[in-house]
Amino acid sequence: MGVSKADEVDDGDNIVSSHKEGLEAPVKTAVDKFQLLPSFLKVRGLVKQHIDSFNYFINCEIKKIIHAQGNEKVTSDVDANFYLKYLDIFVGEPCVEQDYIYEPITPQQCRLRDMTYSAPISVDVEYTRGKEVVVRKGKDGKQEGSINIGRMPIMLRSSRCILAGKNEAQLAKVGECPLDPGGYFVVKGTEKVILIQEQLSKNRIIITTDSSGSVAASVTSSTHERKSKTNMVVKHERIYLRHNTFGDDIPIVVVMRAMGMESDQEIVQMVGRDPKYAGILNPSLQECAALKIYTSHQALEYLGSKVRSRNMFTKQKRTKVDEARDILATVVLAHVPVHQFDFRAKCIYLAVIIRKMLEAMLNREAVDDMDYVGNKRLELAGQLLSLLFEDLFKRMNAELKKSMDATLSKANRSTQFDIIKLIRPDTLTNGLEHAISSGNWAVKRFKMDRKGVTQVVSRLSFIAALGHMTRISSQFEKTRKVSGPRALQPSQWGMLCPCDTPEGEACGLVKNLSLMTHVTTDEEEAPLIELCTTLGVEDLSLLSGEELHSPKTYLVFFNGTILGVHRRPNRFAEVLRKLRRAGKIGEFVSVHVNPKHRNIQIASDGGRVCRPLVIADKGVSRVKEHHMKELKDGFRTFDDFLREGLVEYLDVNEENNSLIALYEGDATPDTTHIEIEPFTILGVCAGLIPYPHHNQSPRNTYQCAMGKQAMGNIAYNQLQRMDTLLYLLVYPQRPLLSTKSIELVGYDKLGAGQNATVAVMSYSGYDIEDAIVMNKSSLDRGFGRCIVIKKSVVPMKKYANRTADRIMAPELQSSAKGGVQVVARQQLQDHDGIAAVGEMIRPGDIYVNKQSPIDTRNNVNNPMALPDSAYKRTPQTYKGAAGETAVVDKVLLTSNDENHFVVKCLIRQTRRPEVGDKFSSRHGQKGVCGTIVQQEDFPFSERGICPDLIMNPHGFPSRMTVGKMIELLGGKAGLHNGKFHYGSAFGEPSGHADKVSTISATLVKHGFSYSGKDFIYSGITGSPLQAYIFMGPIYYQKLKHMVLDKMHARARGPRVVLTRQPTEGRSREGGLRLGEMERDCLIAYGASMMILERLMISSDQFQIQVCTKCGMIGYYHHKLKICLCSTCKSGDNIATMKLPYACKLLFQELQSMNIVPRLTLAEA
Amino acid sequence: MDNVSYQRFPTVRIRDIKDDVLKFELRDTDASIANALRRIMIAEVPTLAIDLVEIESNSSVLNDEFLAHRLGLIPIVSDRAMEMRLSRDCDACDGDGRCEYCSIEFHLSVKCTGDQTLDVTSLDLVSSDPSIIPVDAAGRAADMGGFESNDTRGILIVKLRKGQELKLRAIARKGIGKDHAKWSPAATVTFQYEPEIHINEALMETLTLEEKQEWIDSSPTKVFELDPVSQQVVVVDPEAYTYDEEVLKKAEAMGKPGLVEIYSKEDSFIFTVESTGAIKASQMFLNAIEILKSKLDAVRLSFDTEEADDQFGELGAHMRGGGI
Repeated sequence: MGVSKADEVDDGDNIVSSHKEGLEAPVKTAVDKFQLLPSFLKVRGLVKQHIDSFNYFINCEIKKIIHAQGNEKVTSDVDANFYLKYLDIFVGEPCVEQDYIYEPITPQQCRLRDMTYSAPISVDVEYTRGKEVVVRKGKDGKQEGSINIGRMPIMLRSSRCILAGKNEAQLAKVGECPLDPGGYFVVKGTEKVILIQEQLSKNRIIITTDSSGSVAASVTSSTHERKSKTNMVVKHERIYLRHNTFGDDIPIVVVMRAMGMESDQEIVQMVGRDPKYAGILNPSLQECAALKIYTSHQALEYLGSKVRSRNMFTKQKRTKVDEARDILATVVLAHVPVHQFDFRAKCIYLAVIIRKMLEAMLNREAVDDMDYVGNKRLELAGQLLSLLFEDLFKRMNAELKKSMDATLSKANRSTQFDIIKLIRPDTLTNGLEHAISSGNWAVKRFKMDRKGVTQVVSRLSFIAALGHMTRISSQFEKTRKVSGPRALQPSQWGMLCPCDTPEGEACGLVKNLSLMTHVTTDEEEAPLIELCTTLGVEDLSLLSGEELHSPKTYLVFFNGTILGVHRRPNRFAEVLRKLRRAGKIGEFVSVHVNPKHRNIQIASDGGRVCRPLVIADKGVSRVKEHHMKELKDGFRTFDDFLREGLVEYLDVNEENNSLIALYEGDATPDTTHIEIEPFTILGVCAGLIPYPHHNQSPRNTYQCAMGKQAMGNIAYNQLQRMDTLLYLLVYPQRPLLSTKSIELVGYDKLGAGQNATVAVMSYSGYDIEDAIVMNKSSLDRGFGRCIVIKKSVVPMKKYANRTADRIMAPELQSSAKGGVQVVARQQLQDHDGIAAVGEMIRPGDIYVNKQSPIDTRNNVNNPMALPDSAYKRTPQTYKGAAGETAVVDKVLLTSNDENHFVVKCLIRQTRRPEVGDKFSSRHGQKGVCGTIVQQEDFPFSERGICPDLIMNPHGFPSRMTVGKMIELLGGKAGLHNGKFHYGSAFGEPSGHADKVSTISATLVKHGFSYSGKDFIYSGITGSPLQAYIFMGPIYYQKLKHMVLDKMHARARGPRVVLTRQPTEGRSREGGLRLGEMERDCLIAYGASMMILERLMISSDQFQIQVCTKCGMIGYYHHKLKICLCSTCKSGDNIATMKLPYACKLLFQELQSMNIVPRLTLAEA
Repeated sequence: MDNVSYQRFPTVRIRDIKDDVLKFELRDTDASIANALRRIMIAEVPTLAIDLVEIESNSSVLNDEFLAHRLGLIPIVSDRAMEMRLSRDCDACDGDGRCEYCSIEFHLSVKCTGDQTLDVTSLDLVSSDPSIIPVDAAGRAADMGGFESNDTRGILIVKLRKGQELKLRAIARKGIGKDHAKWSPAATVTFQYEPEIHINEALMETLTLEEKQEWIDSSPTKVFELDPVSQQVVVVDPEAYTYDEEVLKKAEAMGKPGLVEIYSKEDSFIFTVESTGAIKASQMFLNAIEILKSKLDAVRLSFDTEEADDQFGELGAHMRGGGI
C-alpha cells in the first residue's frame, strides 16, 4: 500500500516537470482556461454593455451630436449677423445644488431623498454680442464648460459616476453594495433600468418573402439626419420600389433610369449578365419601355408625378423633377451617400439589391432569416439616450431661437442682448428625467414613440436585479401569433441565454444575455474605410457594371454600404483579422466572408452581440499553460490576452467563418477557435441551476423565472435602503451544490435559499400535487423564516398660500386613574408625533400624527402662526392584517432637492412558514407547504438524521429533473466531505461538475449507499420503513408568494355606494363572486332559491313601491305612512316588492335618458 | 386471551456515558416502547429556554425579533426543570420573571466601545439564579482540558461594531419540545435494531481470497473483515451494518445467494442520545422514563370506569399488568 503513496508523490513531480518542459504544450483541459472568466468579468463586469454604451454616449456621441450639421449653430432669422456656436460639451460629475453651493452626491442619497442622480451638462460657446464675437470656455484642463444647459441622469458605475473605480471599502463608505452591478439610473429616488431593445439591423439588405410567397427586399436606412425604410417587391414577375414618399409602387428600372442609367445594357451588366438573371429581369425592363421612359428626365418626371404630395409650405417653387431627384438622393436608401447628385453608388446599391432578389427568386434558400441573431442589433441605454438627447437639444435650440428672435425683433432694447441669459436648462433636464422615469421614449424626428422602455429595477432578490440588467425586449408585438421570432435560434449560441425567457405572452420575445456576451458600440468609420482601400479594395467609382460581379471578385460591404470589390477576399479578411488581433483596429470590428453571396461584410457599428473566444492556429490553442499561470499570479489581465491576440471577440456573422471547438480535445486542424467555457452560453439566472444539462429544458426556464422571486439577501446595503417592499430571509445560506456561475455573479455571498435535508417519500397524504411536508422543529429553529418590510411615505405638503402640513405631538387625555395618558392608537408615537422605532404597530394605529391646513387657497397673513383651529387632522393610519405583529423598523425624515419634506416609515414583520407558503428547489419544482409535522413524527435514520422537509416522489417521473437528484447526491457527499461540490452546466468533462460516479464513491467512503438512499425508521411507530428513502440536502428557495398576503374570506362587509353590491377584491375586503358559470350550475341543478339568495338577498336587495296601474316606481311617505305614486298622484294601486338595487338604479338611469321602464306585476 | 401475560422485563445496558452522550442497549421490549422513549426525549422532557425578551435598546444589525429568536435557541442548564412549574400552571405569578417557581430572569447589557468588533455571546447573559445559566459546552470542555482557546467560548448572539449597544431583559421559562424546538433537550435521539449476522461458513470457504475481499469491500460500512491469520471472513462490527443489503446483493451477483443471512432482532435496540447540554443525556433518559410513567399513570387513573375499558380494550388489560 505504501507504494501507491510514493506513486502519488511521483505524480506530483510529473506535473511539475510537465510544466517545465511543456511551456509550448497546449492547455490540455478546459479547467485551466476557466481563470479567463473571472478576469473577463473583472474587466468587463456583468453589465458592462450598459456601462460601455453609456460611457460612449457621454464621452463621444454627445460631442458628435452638438457638432452635427443643424445642431452646431443657432442663427437668427431677424439678425443675419447673429449666431451662437457650440464649441464643446461636457457632462460633469453628479452633484446637487444646495443653498447655491454644488455638492457631490451619492446614489444612495438620491435613493433615500427621492432625487435624481444626475450631473450638469455644460457647453463652451462662441456667439455674437452686439458687434463683438464672444468665446466662453470653461477652465482649461477641467471637464467643464462655461454654461450649464441642463442635467443628465448618470448611470451607476459609469465613468462619470462617483462609484467608478472605487474599492469595496470606499463603496461601503458611500453606502453602496460592492456586489451591485450598476448599469441603471436613479431618477426621483427610484432605480430605473433602460431595457436593451432588440431590432433588425439598420442599413442592411434583408431579403424576405411576403405573405403570398413572393420575394421582397427591405432596407431600413438610418443616418443621423434621417430614417427611412425602402422596400422592393415583386409583382407579376416585375420588380418595384415601394417607399413612403411615393404614392405608388415604382418600376425599378424607372428608378434606375432616373438615377442616370439610361442604357438597359448597363442595368443588366450591373445586376449581372448571366442569362439566368437577365431572363428574370426582362419583364421589368419591358415595363419601363412600355411606359415610354427612355431618359433620365422622363423617369424623373414619372417619379415626380408619383410623389405623395405633402403639404409642405416651404419652397413651393421647386419643380416635380427637382423634388423627385431630391427624394432619390436623400430619402430613398438614405444611408448611401450621394454627392452632387452623383447617383452611381446608389445605382450599384440598387443593382446589388436586385441581384440578391433575383438570386432569392431562383433559389429560395437565399432568403434571409429575419430571426437570425446576426441580422439583429441591440439598442442600449447610450444609443437610446443619444436619440432622446439630440431631440431635446434640437428642441432647446428651437426654443432658444424663438425667444431670441422675439427679443431681437424688438426695436429698441434697454440692455445689450446676451443670448446666454435666454438658455433654459429645464428642457433637457425635465425631458431626460421624464423619459427615464416614465419609460415613454418619444423622438419626434424619427416618429418614434415607444412605451415601457425603462423599468423599475426589481429588488426582490439579488438575482432579480442582476437578471434585470441583462434583459432584452423585442420590438415585435406580443399579440402576433408567429412562432419565428419566439423560437430558439441556433445563432443564439453563446450570445443569448437559451433558458431564461418568461412563460406566456412574452415567451421568446424577452430574452437575456449570456454570461460572456458583449454588445458593441459604434466605432470610427473613416480610418477603417481608408485601411480597406490600402488593403486592396478597388473603389466603386473605378469599376464598370460588368466588373462588379465578375466571378473572380468579391464585393466588400462596410457597415452595409458597398466599398468596392476585392480579388482575394480570404486573404483580405485574414489580414484584417491579423490587424485586429494585433490591436491596430478595434477589437470589435468584425470581418465576415460570405462565399454564397460572394461578398465580404465588415462591421464596426454598434449593437452587435459578440463574445470572446480563444484563437487556435490549425487547431492548437494559442493560450498556453504559462499564460494561465501568469493570469493566476496576477501578471496578466484579460485585456492582455486580447492585446496579444490570444483571445478575440467574434460577432454572430464572423462565427460563421470560424470552426469553433468546444474543447481542445475536439479540435481538428481546421479549428480556428476554442470555447472558453461551455457553461457561459447560459445567462445569470440559469447559471444558478446545478446540473441544468440533466434537466428537462422547460424546468430550467421555470427556475429562471422563480429564482427572481426567491427571498434572500438583496444587497449588502439592504438595511440602509428604503424599498417599498423588501423580502429578506433570516438565515440565508450558500448552496451546498454550487456552480461556477454562482461564484462569478456573487450568489454565494447574497444567497436566496437554504439547504434543506429532503426526504423523497410519501407522508401523510398532505403532500399530493407537489405539496411539501415540513418539520416543525426545523421551522422553530429558523428554517424559511423571513422578514417583510413595507415602506409608507408621508409627504408633508406645502400649499399655494404658503401654508404647510404639520406634525403634532401625540394627543393626551385624562386617564381613569386621574393622570394623563396618550390617546389610544397613538401610544406608539414618540414625543414628536411620529411612530417610535421598535414599537409594535397594529391596524388602525396612527404612525404619523399629521395635520393639514383647512384653507389651502386663500392667502393667509402669517402662514407660520395659524391657530390650531385652522388645521384639520389628517393622521396616517397603519392598514395591515389584524392579528399580525408588525414593528416599526425605521423612520426617515428627509427632504428632496425641491425642499419637500417627507417622512418615510418602514414597517417590519417577521414570518415563519405556514401551511400554504410557496417553496421551490432550483429545478423549477415549486410546491406549497401542505402540512407541518412535529419532529418526533418525522422519519429518522439510525444516525439521527431527520429531514427538514418531505417531498413526494411523484414530482420526479413527469418532470424529469434528474439534476435535482444529482444535486441531492452531490450535496450529501459534500456534507460528509466538508467541501462544496460543483454542478456547473456541461461541466463534467472540464471538471466544473462532479460526476455521479465520483459522488457515489464519496458517499460509499462515508458509509452511505452509493444511491443516496437511506434506511429509515418511521417516527410514529418506530419500525423501519419498507423502502430505502432517497434523502439528502437540496437548496430550497422560499418564494415571495405567502398565504398571509393572499388569504381572504368575508361574511359581511363593505358595499359599493353606487350599486350597494359587495365590494370587489381582497384589498377592499370584498365578497367572493358567484360568477356566471357557478350561476349556470345552480340553474342546471334547479336551485332557484339558492340563486335568489346569492344574487339578490345576500347582495343588494332593495324594497320599492310600484304602482300597478302605471308601472312606475313610487315611494313611501314616512310622515303620512302611506305609499304614493308620484305619476298617478295616488296611493291606491301601490304594491311593495323586492328587487336588486342595481335594477332600481337601471330604471332610474333609463328614466333620466327619457326611456320609461314600466313594471307589470302579476299575483305571485 | 384472559390469562395471557404481556409483561416483559426490559433491560438496559449502558455502553457509553458522558455528560452529553449516552449510548445504551434496550432489550426485551418492542418498538413501541423504544419509540415512545425516543419521542418523549425529543418532545416532552422539559427544559428551560428564554421565552420572553424585553429589549431596552438595540442598535445592533439584527432586529429585535431576530435577536429574540436567537436568544430563545440558547440552551440553558435545566437540571431543575423537572421540579419547576410551567408558567401557565403557576398560580403565584404571571410569569414576569420574579417568580422562583416558574421563571428565571436574565439581563444582557453590552456596548462596544473599542475599534474591534465585539462578539456578544451567551456568556454575556447574566442570570438572576447562579445555578441557571446558559450552557457553555466549550467552556465545560476547556475545563476538562479539551479546548484551549478562550475565544471559542459561549454561543454567539450578535456582533457589535463601535458604538452599537444591546441592552435587554430576558425571561426563561419551563417548556417542552412539543411547543417549540428550543425546549427540546435532545440534539439527537435515535435507535436502531440490532442486526444479527450469520455467515454461511461453508459457502464462504468456496470463495477465493480476492473474492472474499471484494465481497467485504462491497459493504459501504465496515461490518466484515478478513482475518489476517485464518483468512476467514469475520463480523467485526455488526452494528455498523446499515441494512443496506449491499452484501446480499453482492453475494447474489457472485452467484452465492445465502452467503450471509442478516436479520434484525425485533426486541433489541441500540440507542444513541445526545443532549444539547441543557440536561445530561443520562438524566434526559431518566426523565423520559419518569414522564412515560406519569403518562401511563394518567391512563391508569381513568381505567376504573367502564368506558375506559371499552376505549382501550385489550390495551386496558395490558395496562393493568397482563390481565386480571
